[in-house]
Amino acid sequence: MYTRLVPSFGVSEGRMGRFLVTCMAIGFFALIAAGVAAAWSTAQNEHHTREVNHTYEVELAIDRARIAIEQSETARRGYLLTSEPVYLGTYRTAMAAVPKAVGTVATLTEDNPRQQGNVITMRRLVGDLSAQRERTIAAAEAGDRAGALTQFEQETSIRRMRAVRSLADTMVREERRLLAVRDAAQQASVQVFYVTLAVAGLLLVLVAFITLVTVLRYTRELATSRDALRDFADTLEDLVDERTADLSRANEEIQRFAYIVSHDLRSPLVNVMGFTAELEAATGAITELIDRAEEKAPEIVSEDARLAAREDLPEAIRFIRTSTQKMDRLINAILKLSRQGRRVISAEPLDIAVLIDGIGASLTQQIEHRGATLTVEQPLPNLFSDRVAVEQIFSNLIENAVKYLDPARPGRIVVRGKREGKRIHYEIEDNGRGIAPSDHARVFDLFRRSGTQDQPGEGIGLAHVRALAYRLGGVIDVSSELGRGATFRLTLPATYTEAKTDTRGR
Amino acid sequence: MTDHQTVSIIMIEDDEGHARLIEKNIRRAGILNEIQHFTDGTSALEYLFNADKGPAQGGPALVLLDLNLPDMGGTDILAKIKGSDGPLKRTPVVVLTTTDDKVEIQRCYDLGCNVYITKPVNYESFAQAIRQLGLFLSVIQVPDSEGHG
Repeated sequence: MYTRLVPSFGVSEGRMGRFLVTCMAIGFFALIAAGVAAAWSTAQNEHHTREVNHTYEVELAIDRARIAIEQSETARRGYLLTSEPVYLGTYRTAMAAVPKAVGTVATLTEDNPRQQGNVITMRRLVGDLSAQRERTIAAAEAGDRAGALTQFEQETSIRRMRAVRSLADTMVREERRLLAVRDAAQQASVQVFYVTLAVAGLLLVLVAFITLVTVLRYTRELATSRDALRDFADTLEDLVDERTADLSRANEEIQRFAYIVSHDLRSPLVNVMGFTAELEAATGAITELIDRAEEKAPEIVSEDARLAAREDLPEAIRFIRTSTQKMDRLINAILKLSRQGRRVISAEPLDIAVLIDGIGASLTQQIEHRGATLTVEQPLPNLFSDRVAVEQIFSNLIENAVKYLDPARPGRIVVRGKREGKRIHYEIEDNGRGIAPSDHARVFDLFRRSGTQDQPGEGIGLAHVRALAYRLGGVIDVSSELGRGATFRLTLPATYTEAKTDTRGR
Repeated sequence: MTDHQTVSIIMIEDDEGHARLIEKNIRRAGILNEIQHFTDGTSALEYLFNADKGPAQGGPALVLLDLNLPDMGGTDILAKIKGSDGPLKRTPVVVLTTTDDKVEIQRCYDLGCNVYITKPVNYESFAQAIRQLGLFLSVIQVPDSEGHG
């Protein structure tokens, strides 16, 4: 079931990241577009303002020219009527201003061919006007007032003045028209600006929304996968429990089997040993008979009979004895093992460091004899488990470590542990002679031993340890390199719980 | 032991070899009482309950019982002996078996077994134990055959 969980962890971070970057790029693009639009709009605005100013300047210049023309006319008329030199002065000043004013208009409207045309017309009209005026003024100055007046009456200056006025109006209108055109353009540019701004704003909001939604979804997915992962971890824990239950059930079965087998093996063994003893006793009687016969009537004792009584029979019996004794030891070992498995487990809080100190104390002699050290690395996690079983596990492992130290170097045995979830891992490490990798699984089997057989033992210690570890719901394994030392790793549940073998049938 | 009727030893033991060794060693201890040997529970029970002059009829007897029998558990026989009425109930039962399981020992005593002996695998100890059992049998008082019950 755990394989099903794995694919749902897939929150594709790469796609997610690319999407977010794209969103951010779009957002920045929108911002830049808005900025550009603002800058463009400001520039447009400025340009427009300049043009509006220009229009007014042109209008002002036109007005000035007109005023100068009107003023000069008024002053001329005054002078012609009164011959007062004051009017003449005013006339001269005003007339002098006219070309300059018209020149200003010409300069301002240089870019407008229509206005240039108007300016030329204006200049022509002003030229005609000033020629007429100069003639009348000249007449008046010469004292010919009447002539001057006549001339004035005959001249077409009124019509020309009207033309000048109308031209000025035309020019102003032209400027106004230009202004209107520019206003429209300005309006359009403002509209473009607002549209751009609106689009950019909309884009930003959209991007922000999408990003937010995506990030939220991503976060939710992360949370989901985190939950899934947690569930997975829990499932794994259950799985470990299940496997452990399987192991301990298998272990129980084997132990039951071992008990029955060893028990039933005992009965025939009692017979073999018993009748061997009877045979020995009988052999004694026969040997005695042969001895007596040899003494009294040597001729009846054949060589075969003598050999049989003195050598063959005792030898056969000796072999039967040693074999049955060995078999007895093995059977006893199995019985001991199975009996351990049938013991009722009673869990209690255990201080492992104290427990190991106790084991160390009981092995002091061997440890000192071999010049070794036993170190407990603190802190060592404690257990809630069966005292006898845990003690036997550690004592067997440490005893083995002491037993199989390498005499070539000072022995060093280290016990350490760490907690991982509900389970505790202990390590018993030594720098002894080690176990060949091919023997790693074998050493836990009953009656199997590894390396040079220079130490006493039947090969049941580690089998016992493994049986006990299974019994407590744990496991044990070893990693070792020949000649370098061995590390036994024991994993036990922090709190012993009865294996639920009855709830799961086959 | 009472004089007027000898106590018979009823040995229920499926292993012929064990039976022979037990008998030999009992004889070596100087016990000459009749030994009735049964290799299965059914025939043993048949004798115990129904035989003429058998224990159920008041014949003085002592039972040597092995727990591992082919047809039934020794404890079943023990339960039947101790659960019966009459003289058979008072017949001493010596459980002599290879089983040294604590639970089994307790159960036997709970059922009313009088002595529980584990057969030592080592023959010397075995012979020793049986001889001592023989000595023990020579002084043990079996309920009177002319039973009051």
